[in-house]
Amino acid sequence: MRAAIARFARVVLLASYAGALVLTAQQAPPPLVTSQEILDGLKPDGSRWLTFGGNYNNQRHSPLTQITPANVNRLVPQWTFQTGTLGNFETTTLLRDNVLYATGPLNVAWALDARTGRQIWRYRRELPETGLTACCGLVNRGFGVLGDKLFMTTLDAHLLALDIKTGAVVWDVTLEDYKIGYASTIAPLVVKDKVIVGVAGGEFGIRGFIDAYETQTGKRAWRFYTIPGPGEPGHNTWAGDSWKIGGAGVWVTGAYDPEQNLVFYGIGNPGPDYHSESREGDNLYSDSLVALDADTGKLRWYYQFTPHDLHDWDATQVPVLADIPIGGQPRKVVMFANRNGFYYTLDRTTGKVIMAKPFVTTTWAKEIGSDGRPMLLPGHKPDEKGEVTCPDITGATNFWPPAYDPSTRTFFVNAREVCATFYSWKPEYIPGERFTGGAAQRVISPDSPVYGALRAIDPATGNLKWEFRYLNPSTAGLLTTASGVIFSGDSEGNLLALDSRKGTLLWRYQLGATMHGTSPITYMLDGRQHVLVPAGTTLTAWALPQ
Amino acid sequence: MKWTGPALTVAWLCVAGGTFLAAQNSPANLPIQGVPDKNPFEGDPAAIQAGLGLFRVRCADCHGMDARGVRGPDITQVWASGRTDPGLFRTVKFGVPNTEMPSNPRILDHEAWQILAYLRTLAAPAPTDPPRGNAQNGEKIFRANCAGCHRVNAAGGRLGPDLSRVGVARARDAIVRRIRGSTEQMGSGYEPVTITPAAGPPIYGVKKNEDLFSVQIMDTRERIQGYEKDKMKAVVNDTKSAMPAFGVDRLSESDLDDVVRYLQSLRGFDPAVRQ
Repeated sequence: MRAAIARFARVVLLASYAGALVLTAQQAPPPLVTSQEILDGLKPDGSRWLTFGGNYNNQRHSPLTQITPANVNRLVPQWTFQTGTLGNFETTTLLRDNVLYATGPLNVAWALDARTGRQIWRYRRELPETGLTACCGLVNRGFGVLGDKLFMTTLDAHLLALDIKTGAVVWDVTLEDYKIGYASTIAPLVVKDKVIVGVAGGEFGIRGFIDAYETQTGKRAWRFYTIPGPGEPGHNTWAGDSWKIGGAGVWVTGAYDPEQNLVFYGIGNPGPDYHSESREGDNLYSDSLVALDADTGKLRWYYQFTPHDLHDWDATQVPVLADIPIGGQPRKVVMFANRNGFYYTLDRTTGKVIMAKPFVTTTWAKEIGSDGRPMLLPGHKPDEKGEVTCPDITGATNFWPPAYDPSTRTFFVNAREVCATFYSWKPEYIPGERFTGGAAQRVISPDSPVYGALRAIDPATGNLKWEFRYLNPSTAGLLTTASGVIFSGDSEGNLLALDSRKGTLLWRYQLGATMHGTSPITYMLDGRQHVLVPAGTTLTAWALPQ
Repeated sequence: MKWTGPALTVAWLCVAGGTFLAAQNSPANLPIQGVPDKNPFEGDPAAIQAGLGLFRVRCADCHGMDARGVRGPDITQVWASGRTDPGLFRTVKFGVPNTEMPSNPRILDHEAWQILAYLRTLAAPAPTDPPRGNAQNGEKIFRANCAGCHRVNAAGGRLGPDLSRVGVARARDAIVRRIRGSTEQMGSGYEPVTITPAAGPPIYGVKKNEDLFSVQIMDTRERIQGYEKDKMKAVVNDTKSAMPAFGVDRLSESDLDDVVRYLQSLRGFDPAVRQ
């Protein structure tokens, strides 16, 4: 009898296994994510969003056209996902094969069914109870992906590879010691077989760097220190030993130009933030855009937006690549709206300035000279009494992603009109503690109104095409579509859809939280275009009615 | 002249002085379970000066030089919002878990108290002249003239701010200025607004919230209500405070002293007070 039961069990087992094989053959999952897929970027079929900016050029411009200026006011919510955590999203979600991958606050992350918003898996990192040094929020800006792995940086300065199907850790490498001021919040950029990340900590006396790791093993392939060491070009732009604790973090994802095999990264502020005498010199490569060979990390060129910055104007904005005609000549450019108040169009093969012009009220520099250096105006060195400078500490814009519509050659950015009084004093460096050497307070007066605006800029001239004013400065990222819609958010929690050619408001919805540093993504699901919006601790998916 | 030189020297001298004081008063030596109910340095000029130096070095980068918030929140009204000295002491020392407010293990106990002593002066600077006026008479005047719009201990109107804690939140000078009619600061939630609907008379009230498309108010009848801007004829931010000015013709200097004395006596909702 016992033998018969065993035989029966074996038969059932085999039958199930055979059934599973048939099922597998019928519902074979798509091949693993390839580097070619990431290179190809956003497709007209809307089937994926595989890297921070949608494409390596960071344009955040979707080819999808189902949602149009004429029908966007009919969008209806499909579902809402809530994290159940404190904090807020600053993420760009990824999408593949109808599954969304999102990183949230406190290094929690999820895979979600894009059809329903239901959780497939959840990952939560056990963070140290004390000693985390993220200056400005316990946030994360998104996953990178390749093969069967997702890549995520952590607040305790690690880089993780997670199994895309389960969320289990595949490998875990330490970038640096979080106890001495390092953290990582950046969305990794996957280029070929490497995953590229940076470290935050510009307010904690770190020495910044960009790292590349082998995606398979987690082995480090190269490191580029954002502050040159002894004997390296640029080292003499730091007085004394100031280079050892000069900051220059990297916390916003760069762009990649496959033709030149270059990655472009904006580098953070020098530290201490406000105190000039602690670090005389230009302080390279703080507040610069660096172009690095993607295979080796070797510097090809750099451009420093704010030499010897004293106002915490990290150049950690998102670089956007495009090929555009300027003065009748086709130019390969990188567009950069900087925290210091100037918009720049640079030649991305040389790093030379093609055009630079203020895009907000800017009082510290008259213009950018022919040598590429800002022509400084007097009275903008912070001191014990305080000096008033525009833009303020948060800057003309910041880490929230801009967008670019190549069909109209328009660069879009959420800009801030705010000034501040900056103070400075000599700080003491204590490892792991704030090291800023000053403070700032915003100027609020009838003479200096505070507001924000979505601005549409012509990258050939720097001229404003249109603007949409907000009551207060917005920190929302942007998304444009080929149908002529731009999605943004205001500082009061409204999700906004505007006509990207005219700047007119088409539709709005009160989300209940701001889209702080988050951009919507858009994709096709079962024949319907969806827009996914992270805000606060929710993700909401939108589509036209069926 | 560098701010850091003399000012920090003074600050650190004061810290040293504070340390001596601390040794006498012993808050620095108390185990954390033994946190006193009240800041032992409150109003102490040397501790306040030391706290100023510590605040600028340790706190101002996030909370702003004036503590009204930059990267971090405005912390000038923490007492007015109901926080207590021991609670704030713990926040300074141990931070707020799962936020960017760090623990500060290197801030000694007496230094935390000094920071709070300084912070308190930003909320309600200590009076420079001796208190004057009759609080009992002040309460009567308050009930007759102010309670229509202001609440104390759950009695009174709601259009203006609840004043149950005003004694810990505002300095005498600031209270006097507001009563006499200054509108230098119309607090968030009390900015006057006039809404003209498509039909009917204008609605006067104070703004509770606003975005590009809507405004939420309490009107003069204490109705709380939201209005969509595109459905109104006009939504106008008024420049004149809803608080009437009480000049000397309406409130004598002596009566003013009495009202202020009464307000200064208020330390928060007191359940023992029967209405």
